[in-house]
Amino acid sequence: MSEGRQAGVGGFRQVDDVVWELPASARADMRVPARVFADRELIGEISADRSLEQLANVATLPGITGAALAMPDIHQGYGFPVGGVAATELPDGVVSPGGVGYDINCGVRLLALPLTVWELGGRTEALVHELSRRVPVGAGHGGALKLTGAAFDHVLTAGPRTLLAGHGIGTEEDIEHTESDGCLPGADPAMVSERARVRGCDQLGTLGSGNHFLEVQRVAKILDPRAAEKFGLRLDQVTVLIHSGSRGFGHQVCTDYVRAMDVALARFRITLPDRQLACAPLSSPEGQRYLAAMACAANFAWANRAVLAHRVRESVARILGPKVAQGTRQVYDVAHNVAKLEQHHGRTLCVHRKGATRAFAAGSMDIPSAYRTVGQPVFIPGSMGTSSFVLVGRQAAMERSFGTTCHGAGRRLSRTGARREITGAELRRRLEAQGIVVRCPSNRGLAEEAPFAYKDVERVVAVVEQAGLAGRVAQLVPLGVVKG
Amino acid sequence: MSYRWVEHTAELELEIEAATEAGVFVDALRALFELLGDGHRFDRVRREVSVYARERSVLLLEWLDELVFLAETEDLVPIEVERMELSDGGLVASVRCDRGDPRHLVKGATYHRLAFERCGGGFRARVVLDV
Repeated sequence: MSEGRQAGVGGFRQVDDVVWELPASARADMRVPARVFADRELIGEISADRSLEQLANVATLPGITGAALAMPDIHQGYGFPVGGVAATELPDGVVSPGGVGYDINCGVRLLALPLTVWELGGRTEALVHELSRRVPVGAGHGGALKLTGAAFDHVLTAGPRTLLAGHGIGTEEDIEHTESDGCLPGADPAMVSERARVRGCDQLGTLGSGNHFLEVQRVAKILDPRAAEKFGLRLDQVTVLIHSGSRGFGHQVCTDYVRAMDVALARFRITLPDRQLACAPLSSPEGQRYLAAMACAANFAWANRAVLAHRVRESVARILGPKVAQGTRQVYDVAHNVAKLEQHHGRTLCVHRKGATRAFAAGSMDIPSAYRTVGQPVFIPGSMGTSSFVLVGRQAAMERSFGTTCHGAGRRLSRTGARREITGAELRRRLEAQGIVVRCPSNRGLAEEAPFAYKDVERVVAVVEQAGLAGRVAQLVPLGVVKG
Repeated sequence: MSYRWVEHTAELELEIEAATEAGVFVDALRALFELLGDGHRFDRVRREVSVYARERSVLLLEWLDELVFLAETEDLVPIEVERMELSDGGLVASVRCDRGDPRHLVKGATYHRLAFERCGGGFRARVVLDV
């Protein structure tokens, strides 16, 4: 053991090169250890905010099993840290809306165009501009697809499949290439409030604000040729990465159920170190109602990304021609804020992933048949101006992290901190000097998402690879970005 | 102005100090205006807002969530409180708003580190917003 492994950070001791652990005995209320995947440099950054304290709080949840886990992109959130994973055991383990977050099924979808960056030529700016015209960004609503009543309910229960059948949006292959086929079972629209419906009815196909984006990219490196071939990715190919979630609809579902569970805590005799961890036993009426409403929001989010992908194809058709649009394939779509019932170690568990991505290994029947021999695709957005990565789930994830890996670079600097360092106008100028086309309605919002506000994505990805949770398949570099 | 934004890695943490309980709610609206205000001035409207909660801290969450709801569903940027009646279990207010293009939406007001307490001769509150 190296000298470095003996030193602790925030009470966490180093277990191996990329694992740090706080034993369950560290606090009287912890039920399991808290474990972080990170190297020494990342754990130093992580310990600078309340992330580790929040992870230890997660370890107090009733019914949690194994350990409260954190990926290397962990950062301070509210209740759960972002980058946190908690598996609770049925029937009396809990489900926590805060363990999923307000943006239920925020996730990432990758589209691969049938052309290279050389064939794209000088049309990058036109393509990014067209995307910015067709996709509403920023506050609230404005989506062209407005659904109400039964049509809206069908989206909540069936997700993108409803849009394919009723509106010709997407393809059958898109649905096959979506985590859980784009539809969580058990969705019950009766469990969703009227306020959520009002917020969501005209938000399908809208990007939102904050860190949501559409990015036009180039495949800069192939790192695993076999997996890349299976995923249909080749060097210099043009891709589009979509990052968005369930918009105000999901935010309201979370708000409603955190309130309801906060009120119910005393009845379940659950004491928590943080009220935002409000939860209820999975078997309770409150737990069941949340799972049914959360599934509605998850299906809404997949439908939202399906409409966004449709807008991308429309933009591609206009700028690059209908043949290129028809040949634009969906590689996969992953959720990184969700709770799902899954089989692990012979047990049915409710796996909460809050800023973490499912990364099932080769052989899983939950992976599309086309990818089953290599593993599940995972997409790790970097930050504007830096690389993103395509990963593939590995066997150690099934053994060490309930089939989970990281979800992004992870913030290291507050929004105000980022704005202190740079103005939006200056950042826009720097990105454009790198040849990256930028469309963002807010200079302030742009500055808050500056690349240096995030951890080094290459270091984050190196940690999950070293831990065996996922392997690198391809590196993508930005050509242009539309920011929410 | 008696509110400030505290450093938080990803979200926004709001701290308010006011002489009265009602002042906390008024300042929370001003803070939200700072986030949502876009400089545009279209038609000015008034909305009656009623929220209920037994705890003052939870009432503050409900207040902020209601203003966020108005911003998201009606494009209303809250400008000022014209009238407010605070009772043991709730709050009724008349809020003057501009219909505009709210700039930066809050996803939700959270219970994390939520506080509403007496402090010296006044009141202090804290709320973390998911953005």
